Amino acid sequence: MFCEESINEYGLPVFRMSFYLARYRDYFMNTTVKPSTLSSSAATVRSSTDLWNALPDAVRSVVLRLLVLGFLCFVLSLASDAFLTATNIVNVLRQAALLFLLASGVTLVVLTAGLDLSVGANVALSACLAATLLKSTGSIALTVSVGLGCGLLIGIVNGLLVAVVRIPPFIATYGMLWILHGITYWFMNGETIHGFPPAFRALGSGYYWGIPVPVFFMLIFLLAGVLFAQRTRWGQEIYAVGANPEAARLSGVPVKNRLILVYAVSGAMAGLASLIFLARLNSAEGDIGESLTLPAIAAVLIGGASLFGGVGSVFGTLIGALMLTLVLNGMNLLNIDASWQPVVTGVIVVLAVFLDKLTRKGDVR
Amino acid sequence: MNKTSKSSMRWAQVAIAVMGMCAAAASIAEGGERVAVFTKNQTNPFFQAVRLGADSAARQLDVKVTHYVPTKPDSIPEQMSQVEDVIIKKPDAIVFTPVDYKAMVPAVAKMNAAKIPVVDVTDRTQGGQFVAFVGASDYELGLETGKYLIQAMGGKGNVVVIEGVKGAITSVDRVRGFNDAAKQAPGIKVIASQPGNYQRLQALQVMENLMQSHPQIDGVFAANDAMASGVIEALEGANRKAQVVGINGSKEAIDAIKDGRLLATGDYNGFAQGCLAVMTAVRDLRKLPIKPEILFPAVVIDKNNYQPWETPVESRSCPTWEDAVKF
Amino acid sequence: MHEVSYQPDTPYGMDRWMSRLRQCGSAGGALLALTVMCLVFALSTDTFLEVANLKNVAMQSTILLLVALPMTLIIMTEGLDLSIGAVLTLANVVLAMVAVSTGGIGLAFLAALAVGAAFGLLNGALVARLGIPPFVATLGTLGVAQGLALVATDGQSVVGIPDSLQFFYGGTWLGVPVPIWIAVVAYLVFHFVLYRTRFGAYIFALGGNREALTLAGVRARWYLVAVYVIGGVMAGVAALLLTSRISSGHPTAALGMEFDAIAAVAVGGTSFEKGKGWLLGTLFGVLSVGVLRNGLNLLGVSSAVQVSAIGLLVIAALMLDVLRGKHQ
Repeated sequence: MFCEESINEYGLPVFRMSFYLARYRDYFMNTTVKPSTLSSSAATVRSSTDLWNALPDAVRSVVLRLLVLGFLCFVLSLASDAFLTATNIVNVLRQAALLFLLASGVTLVVLTAGLDLSVGANVALSACLAATLLKSTGSIALTVSVGLGCGLLIGIVNGLLVAVVRIPPFIATYGMLWILHGITYWFMNGETIHGFPPAFRALGSGYYWGIPVPVFFMLIFLLAGVLFAQRTRWGQEIYAVGANPEAARLSGVPVKNRLILVYAVSGAMAGLASLIFLARLNSAEGDIGESLTLPAIAAVLIGGASLFGGVGSVFGTLIGALMLTLVLNGMNLLNIDASWQPVVTGVIVVLAVFLDKLTRKGDVR
Repeated sequence: MNKTSKSSMRWAQVAIAVMGMCAAAASIAEGGERVAVFTKNQTNPFFQAVRLGADSAARQLDVKVTHYVPTKPDSIPEQMSQVEDVIIKKPDAIVFTPVDYKAMVPAVAKMNAAKIPVVDVTDRTQGGQFVAFVGASDYELGLETGKYLIQAMGGKGNVVVIEGVKGAITSVDRVRGFNDAAKQAPGIKVIASQPGNYQRLQALQVMENLMQSHPQIDGVFAANDAMASGVIEALEGANRKAQVVGINGSKEAIDAIKDGRLLATGDYNGFAQGCLAVMTAVRDLRKLPIKPEILFPAVVIDKNNYQPWETPVESRSCPTWEDAVKF
Repeated sequence: MHEVSYQPDTPYGMDRWMSRLRQCGSAGGALLALTVMCLVFALSTDTFLEVANLKNVAMQSTILLLVALPMTLIIMTEGLDLSIGAVLTLANVVLAMVAVSTGGIGLAFLAALAVGAAFGLLNGALVARLGIPPFVATLGTLGVAQGLALVATDGQSVVGIPDSLQFFYGGTWLGVPVPIWIAVVAYLVFHFVLYRTRFGAYIFALGGNREALTLAGVRARWYLVAVYVIGGVMAGVAALLLTSRISSGHPTAALGMEFDAIAAVAVGGTSFEKGKGWLLGTLFGVLSVGVLRNGLNLLGVSSAVQVSAIGLLVIAALMLDVLRGKHQ
């Protein structure tokens, strides 16, 4: 009586997986992301709507998002005269940079139809370890390598759980989240580490030619991420794995290695984010990073990535991060009750994905 | 009865009496009681200080303390479950910080029903029967720290309030205290009041954003030291100056006061609260006199008097009972 | 000499049971973990097996079970409901506020159910009609529900609940605590609906092969919406238990419970991908988490270790499933 997982006694057997997969392969092959060149469709461009229709989905989605971003900025500049000041823009960019660094790693994971829920806890543990080392040795080089290394290691463990042990990414990273929190709490024992040397703090609060250092990191990794995803073979293989792992495997893509790679990158980015975090806040506690996981995932989703894999871009994630930060910034400037923030964030996430659906050519679920 | 049986009877009576006295003595023995200590979360250094204080008192008094902290910070259902589990173990006494001062009243009722004496520490629970309350008056803390800030500002200027967790009694009372202090100074304008959730990063970002919409900020009242640190980072990052006060008396705040970045902090001594709470619980078990309310005075720590607070929490020792009852 | 076929000594019923269990690919992780933990705790503490404690564990698990049952269905349709914790919290707040203002439970309970159903409908509409991925849609509704709860209460608890509400968590009927009755009834209803009705068959098909349903002329969309509405309604029912348990409404009361529910469902063996569902596995998953927490509390284990243990449980249970040959 208890084992009727796949057969319902009422009599409707569930069809086999292969039928299901075959239907879905058609869907996904039609909408796999190609490198960002204009569509190879032979349609002649007669008007601007034709031009719009001729663009591939990926480009359309990014352009749409840029338009929405611009509109948002316009509205905010009308609503508050404090918005369009140089200091405010710099603030927004700096706040978005931290979110973006975290979310860019998660983007790669989402491209493979996975998820990394452990990034926040990763940031916490990496930051706490790095902070302890910084206080005891004072060596910035060692701190940076420990922070990055810890994040990378955690990412690799995630990758192994997903690719080798074959645990669903949601559960594997969720379990890791708890384990990492536990290790962090035990390690920190409720204490705070604070007071770092100014040379290190420049990573987070310093300026270079008037632009905050975190924003530089954001630009660097934006470039790196876009190039990696769109221009390298590894990047294309990652898209392929997300769109259809079976087909990718059959075409010779080392699926397991690519999966481990994306989780490792996500972990390393969390490690980097933790260093910037430390530098900005000048302290480390056991619970930092907890509030960053869902916004990072939201940024990835707002940026246009699909949880089914194969769709999305690092540039889109940047726009997503900027949108989220702008909204929160605007709410603070307009003195809107903080209780409304989750509502606004939630609505934006849904709207962004909905807009995508409206404008996509293929019928992607 | 013949003589021998009478004398043996008497020996038996004496023996039983002695054994009885030993048993009675054992039941009020100096040592071995089990105390369960509940705190709100694993991450706030304040509660770590409370736990350390409880441990320190436990060592002094030879009792065994077990700590119960929710795995999800400030989780109400989890603390309820922990209370239920602990009641099964029947500890001799409980020292309790409610995760929420209103929602945890049924938990206290359960402890009362199980006839386990409870000492309320840090947050004043809104119901239930307690042997005593050990804590600070958050209202006084807010009031005194606020007055200090206002005085340092010369009685006039724009002030921003960074609240704690919305709905937490400590935040509610501290902000209320500050607002009352501000009302007494006509030259002071409270231009904004936003929650920072007692979190550093949130306070930093809120402050950054507030600095945009308010070009002139002369003073900041942060409801705890972690948020005060965030505010200071935001100010320094924007190259602006303002007088900042916090509440906690944490090591970080003391260092900031020494460096001149923080004006003052209100003393919210978790270590002492933990100590005295356990002491009260144990004294109550041992039928020694106790005070039903130990309210720590509101002391403002500034650059003139910070020295006693410089010792790290781990190496502090509990205040003696005699000192405590003078409060 | 004619051949004698060897007959096992076990009676026919038992044999059938055992072979069914073996066929059950999902019997591994949760049940094994649960049994091992119970043994370990029974041996290492003297209080675990006390009736009062076992009753506690059962009662502490009821709210999570009420939320994990619809989550099983939703996951079977290859969806997710991230908002169920926030909806439960909002329903809790609404129930408390209405109970305080009307002084009675009836209207309050209806209000909670209405809130749950409304959000379930919203989720279902977003997922089924607008085609938004469930993760995204429910992430959105999570934010909305969480924000509404905060705005409605301004962060404060709502107290002053009429005492009659205590019955739903603290009361007993025929000697068994009320929440256990509610959980048992809910489980039986779900079991019946899932395994013995056409509705249940359609839910299996929604996960395994949605196209087949549409080709067969069934309006698959409505059933998908229905699954999310069930989730919302169960959140309303669970709100009754939660409000009774904490005798108040609090805007953060059950946030994060959706992750616990998802973990319990996954630990119990319901796969995210294949439209297979095992309600009993969900029950085992919920109990595993409850037993783990309870046992560690009884042992007085530090909170940091408890946190890690929960993560290890989740990963270990799934590893066991994989090792037993259940492919993800």
